[in-house]
Amino acid sequence: MSDLIKFDGLKDMAALLELLPERKKRMKQASAEPQTGDAMAALARALHPELQRLVIADVRQEAAGARVFRLVPDKESGTAAPAVFRAGQYLSLKIDISGVRVARPYSISSSPADAVDSGFYEITIRKKDGGFLSEHAWKEWRVGTKIEASGPAGFFCVEPLRDARHIVGLAGGSGITPFRSMLKDIVETGADVKFTLLYGVNRPDEIMFKSDLESFVAQAPDRISVHFVCCEPDAAWCGPTGFLTADSIRKLAGDPAGKSFFICGPQAMYSFLETELKQFDLPNKRIRREVFGETADVAAHPDYPADAAGKSFSMTVHCGSETTVIPAKSDESALVALERAGIAPPSECRSGECGFCASILLNGKVFVIPETDRRRLAAKKFGVFHPCSSYPVSDIEVKVPLDKS
Amino acid sequence: MADGKKAKIGGACDVVVIGAGNGGLAAALALAVRGAKPLVLEQHNAPGGFATSFVRGRFEFEAALHELSSIGPENNKGGVRRFLEDEGGVEIDWVPIPEAYRVILTDSGMDARLPFGEAPFIDAIEEKVPGSREPLTRYFALCREVSGALGLLAKTAANPSPKRIIKDLKKFVSESADPFEDARRNASNVVTFLRTLPKTVDEVTLKMGIPPKAVDLLYPYWCYLGIPMSRMNFTIWAAMLVDYIDYGAWIPRLRSQEMSYAIEARVRELGGRVEYNTRVDRVLVERGRVKGVVTASGETIKTSAVIANTSPTQLYGSLVSPASEAPAAALRNVNSRKLGGAGFVVYLGLDASPVELGVNDYGYFISKTMDTDAVYGSMEKLDLVDMQATICLNNAIPDCSPPGTTIISMTTLYKPGVWDAVKPKEYAALKNRLADAMITQFDDALGTDIRSRVEEIEVATPATFARYARSFNGGIYGYELDPWDSIIPRILSEKDESYIKGLEVAGGFATMGHGFSSSLISGRSAALKTLAGLGG
Repeated sequence: MSDLIKFDGLKDMAALLELLPERKKRMKQASAEPQTGDAMAALARALHPELQRLVIADVRQEAAGARVFRLVPDKESGTAAPAVFRAGQYLSLKIDISGVRVARPYSISSSPADAVDSGFYEITIRKKDGGFLSEHAWKEWRVGTKIEASGPAGFFCVEPLRDARHIVGLAGGSGITPFRSMLKDIVETGADVKFTLLYGVNRPDEIMFKSDLESFVAQAPDRISVHFVCCEPDAAWCGPTGFLTADSIRKLAGDPAGKSFFICGPQAMYSFLETELKQFDLPNKRIRREVFGETADVAAHPDYPADAAGKSFSMTVHCGSETTVIPAKSDESALVALERAGIAPPSECRSGECGFCASILLNGKVFVIPETDRRRLAAKKFGVFHPCSSYPVSDIEVKVPLDKS
Repeated sequence: MADGKKAKIGGACDVVVIGAGNGGLAAALALAVRGAKPLVLEQHNAPGGFATSFVRGRFEFEAALHELSSIGPENNKGGVRRFLEDEGGVEIDWVPIPEAYRVILTDSGMDARLPFGEAPFIDAIEEKVPGSREPLTRYFALCREVSGALGLLAKTAANPSPKRIIKDLKKFVSESADPFEDARRNASNVVTFLRTLPKTVDEVTLKMGIPPKAVDLLYPYWCYLGIPMSRMNFTIWAAMLVDYIDYGAWIPRLRSQEMSYAIEARVRELGGRVEYNTRVDRVLVERGRVKGVVTASGETIKTSAVIANTSPTQLYGSLVSPASEAPAAALRNVNSRKLGGAGFVVYLGLDASPVELGVNDYGYFISKTMDTDAVYGSMEKLDLVDMQATICLNNAIPDCSPPGTTIISMTTLYKPGVWDAVKPKEYAALKNRLADAMITQFDDALGTDIRSRVEEIEVATPATFARYARSFNGGIYGYELDPWDSIIPRILSEKDESYIKGLEVAGGFATMGHGFSSSLISGRSAALKTLAGLGG
């Protein structure tokens, strides 16, 4: 067809040039007002603020040596409202302790409606859980203390398009905190799910939120049930006893088939329940686990290189235009070594999951716990590692990201 | 640093690249291989922009890439592959996409699987719609002429004028010592190219005598450009169609994140620097010349050249500082252009194999109809869009997820502004409602039950793209490619529309339009222009 068309330079030039006058005309007619922002950036900032400046409005004693800290926006410092979250999520709290900036994740124990309608988060810290930040919080935090936090983060949330209509929560110790948020949310939103919570404790006096949990049951008896399971009961105890086992779970929660299991508790509970839940032969999708923070005893891992245990190595750190050499213990995560040295790359989950601390391993070796290795395939190929879940097993040289703030 | 002092990026540099998306990385690569030492500043914690991936449970999802054009096989490399491998020294494990696409039109019940390669592609359409072969053969010849002529323009001078283009085309035809076989045949390609230049896709295609049902099978790639065929410029469509159908499509084996990490590593190897968590808030301009950039933490880096992997809308609207240095002409320019679609993606990790699920193709275009105006109209409401472009990664890379599992991602588009009124507290429920409807849309179209096999689900919205890639209003496409704002008018206007010395744009908002391949090529062009400016 096109063979028949004769080349007509002038006419075609004209066709071409028509586009340019139209372009010029449209541009001439357009506004010269700058578009300085956009609604999606604003929505993203509201949902995922880089930093929330909060202040403690209330400290409440909870059972089992726990304290509930109520955090409200520190309006003077520019945070107007707490970011919306989904029940089960955590905040990474960022604290300066004697000049060292540390970050630790804490599940939010209040409900999404508490944040949206009443403008607060609550986090709950047990003294006995120890740890750098917990001790500090107990000693120093009082009404009026200012706290910096990340936006809400984490994936330990009920997802209607994925999870069963009947959820079984398996809580151990202070692992109860996200479940308190979930149950309160179910009461407040009228969500169409059933939730059976099994809460394992060592001793009766370790039960946190007992009256809250009982009141949730009372408000939604057809949807929520809660069972306390005690390992070392006293004489007054009349509930179920022992560990949470396949047998006790089946007894209290019924047939496991067609239910989703959510687990949050101390590290030892995960490995124990792993074996127990195997007996139920559930599909992978039916078991959800909250990440549990840094591994307590990395050298005990069967894949850990035995000759590295208990050693101290040197870590050459490139950050921005500066290079520093710092000590790094083989049984502490590279992130802890960095924080001790006053270098605080961004971090949130401290479990290898979120990737905020992603850094480049230029030289040397680190041990990464296979079970918590959530790095992307390409990241592994190109030497990227997550300092929060990596342990130096030789002298190492790394490039870490600058802190955003 | 032990005293808690903040680490600094430090000093000055020749070229600052803002953003490590496809355009920014490609620019940095092109600079670094030519001996420049670019400093790349990226606000996120990993390279790639949209070229990224993420992990949920035992699945690693591709964030954005469906398929790359201009890659080609080892023995017949396309332009993007030649740039990355031969020029850039970047090795990527490329995997071919098995077929062009499966198109399912739910209103008419049309369902066809179309292969790559012009002859098999036309055969498959002829089989579904007899009488299509002859007009489609003519149509592809026409598209190849246009595409060949467009390819030639890449070789013209830096500041082409209409006269120059015609002169170059004529010279090219008369000398005939060039690889563009079809363009060499006779002078008609010049004519075809110029004749179709101001036309829309519909204006050319609907006059070719192609049966309407065959047009339906031909049009699905429209959503990669995201503007209805009644407005989309024919030139860019012809080039895209020929590129995909004649040369196939490819993806990196380890998701597009492999490409971004590979380029980033090569840039560093060549002496470039890449800093993460470093947002640039201002581009300092004095009397029409770039003087430096200021990061979010307040650090000033002096430079006379900036390549911005961002939209000119953001660049002139909020980055150029002081605001008085953003010329009114630049602001009128960006305000006259239409922003492309914002992304919405549902990522699913499923606990059954593709065979068990009955999901046997890589790329699906599922649409109510191929009336692109109607489908585009559905993108203007905050509800289920009439079309989804869906990929099943396992059908290109069988071991991309554990045995007995499948990765599917479903993408649709919303027009800018549609999400503007969404409140944070409604956000999670809205995401869920739309994702739910898209899963139903897929299951209904294919007669499958992926819904009951969801092991992991994640949903990306315009706010997600705005968060991770800082794309303006969550857009995943650049400016719409109407005839007056298609690539030829953009090329011809480059000189007139260059407003600040030392400032170039790379990425989906640059001259070549959006898409991974175009963005990569745009980065290279921006680098060459920057180097020419530095030398002069």
